[in-house]
Amino acid sequence: MDTLVNVAHGFGVALLPINLLYCFIGVFIGTLVGVLPGIGPISAMSLLLPVTLSGTPESGIIMMAGIYYGSMYGGSTTSILVNIPGEAASVVTCIDGHQMAKQGRAGPALGISAFGSFAAGTFALIALMLVAPKLASVAIAFGPAEYFSLMVLGLVVLTFLTQGSMPKALLMACIGVVLGLVGLDSINAQPRLTFGRMELIDGIGLVPVVMGLFGVAEVLLNTEQAIKRDIINTKITHLLPNKEDWKASAGPVGRGTILGFFLGILPGGGAVVASFASYALEKRLSKTPERFGHGAIEGVAGPESANNAAAGGAFIPLMTLGIPPNVVMALLLGAFVIHGLQPGPLLITQNPGLFWGIVASMYIGNVMLLILNLPMIGMWVQLLKLPYNILFPLIILFTILGVYCSSNNVFDVHVMIAFGIIGYFMRKLGYEPAPLVLAFVLGPMMENNLRKSLILSQGDLWTFVQRPISGVCLVFALVLLIAPLLPSLRKKRELVALDEGA
Amino acid sequence: MNNQTNVKLRLSNSELWGGLIGLGLGGFVIWQGLKLKLGTINDPGSGYVLFYTGILMCVFAGAIIVSAITEGGPTLASRWENMRWSKPLLLITCLTAFSFALEPLGFLLSSIPLMLLLLRLIDPVRWTLAVPIAVLVPLGMWWVLKRLLLIQLPSGLFGIG
Repeated sequence: MDTLVNVAHGFGVALLPINLLYCFIGVFIGTLVGVLPGIGPISAMSLLLPVTLSGTPESGIIMMAGIYYGSMYGGSTTSILVNIPGEAASVVTCIDGHQMAKQGRAGPALGISAFGSFAAGTFALIALMLVAPKLASVAIAFGPAEYFSLMVLGLVVLTFLTQGSMPKALLMACIGVVLGLVGLDSINAQPRLTFGRMELIDGIGLVPVVMGLFGVAEVLLNTEQAIKRDIINTKITHLLPNKEDWKASAGPVGRGTILGFFLGILPGGGAVVASFASYALEKRLSKTPERFGHGAIEGVAGPESANNAAAGGAFIPLMTLGIPPNVVMALLLGAFVIHGLQPGPLLITQNPGLFWGIVASMYIGNVMLLILNLPMIGMWVQLLKLPYNILFPLIILFTILGVYCSSNNVFDVHVMIAFGIIGYFMRKLGYEPAPLVLAFVLGPMMENNLRKSLILSQGDLWTFVQRPISGVCLVFALVLLIAPLLPSLRKKRELVALDEGA
Repeated sequence: MNNQTNVKLRLSNSELWGGLIGLGLGGFVIWQGLKLKLGTINDPGSGYVLFYTGILMCVFAGAIIVSAITEGGPTLASRWENMRWSKPLLLITCLTAFSFALEPLGFLLSSIPLMLLLLRLIDPVRWTLAVPIAVLVPLGMWWVLKRLLLIQLPSGLFGIG
């Protein structure tokens, strides 16, 4: 009953005209960046982070959340029609989605992708609504040791799932921690790694780092190769899948939803892992696995549902523990912090309007996305024809403006350009930026919790192992660190490895 | 990988260079940690986490170097094989020049030439399209930010913008 009252309260907040407008802007921009290859939700969210300052916290966070789950919808359109993933979570959709489009079945592929996403998104929201308050009440008992170990686990999971060698990913995570520690020490206010620059006293900004590593570096990578676009030119009809399509897709949608939701909750996991895992699961369960890769609708329905469910699930660790499980959630954490809010166990009780308003807005956003992605598909197809040589200068200009507006400081523009160049060389040498960014956000929190636990336990390191939740997290982290040393597990890791920056 | 791309114990091995840079950074972080004071385990100081993170960086960089020596790795040149490497180089040059010009020239006088260069140098857009985009987009953005969102963009020494 309480939940229903809370949901009603949430709808009261989400249905305010200004919040409806921000929700629409969020899902629209989300679909747009999902559709456009070369710009993903991370770049778009960091670009719009400063815009959240102008409104209420509810409006800003509703818009940011809308961009995230909106991009999951939009990404599939590009994968199916152009065979280029609009964002990383839609890589798998290219395999069967584009084959379906080539066989003249782009309509059902887009249709099942939208309906599957809608079903998964709705399930994830209901689960978020039920699970988050319970987990928040448990999380109140978490101490610094638990927080530290959970963050260590999150980082290790992400490095485990990142493409390339594990030492490279771990090195990136360490560099992220160091960059996160630049500025004043949170305990004794001693300046660290500031090199006498006043601009670095408050630390390096998240926005210039993310925009540089993901926005500018992505553009640099894209310019060195001529992007070929194999756009399906035939008119898209029959968006509603037929009876056989529904029958074949019902199982994958259901399984993808549940699998995606749980993978989304895991720290370090997220939409990309979920879509790959769902594809592998459907192929394994199928009686005719040879159809996969040649236009099997299950290969679209499962991953698309999984990535949307994971996008919903990823809100749980952020809202209940205050720990962002992936880079996108780290940016959302940034939006909370800008408004002086700290997501965590007390958020739901202290700011019920905000929490339930965001949840309710996601229901509304899902309905908006269904309308945006089916009847208005023609508009997105037209947009796909925008040439990249016109698009990338605009992306560059928007990133410069986004960074400047976030701090009103030219120094941040320099930082962004520097990180863009560093990010480009990192990617060329096979170093993924995702662990660096997550560690950059988690680093100061990790340090703070580590030092607090050591002070509280009077320097007893066993405190991290003796406390059950902390101990379990560290054991999992250790297993994942050792796993790649075993050849059979190394192969499995390579199979599920993901490219967050794609 | 063939002999050209998979090289062991050669200076052109890109993995080796990546590891060496990591090792150098790790050493620098350890030094900074020591400079900031480690404190004790009961009361860790400002350099405590930096110092141990630096050690971890050296360990991981060491693992990369060992793997580069034992398993080899692609050459630096092969990373740019069949790529239009001059395009990102041009873009980097434009962005670096822009970053130095932004403060003295202001947003409008620096971003219009930047847009024009990007539109014409990388994958050339025809002049009739490039010029209006390069002028109107920064001007439009400047107007929205200054007039609607009341955000002051750098106006430079000439006070334009």
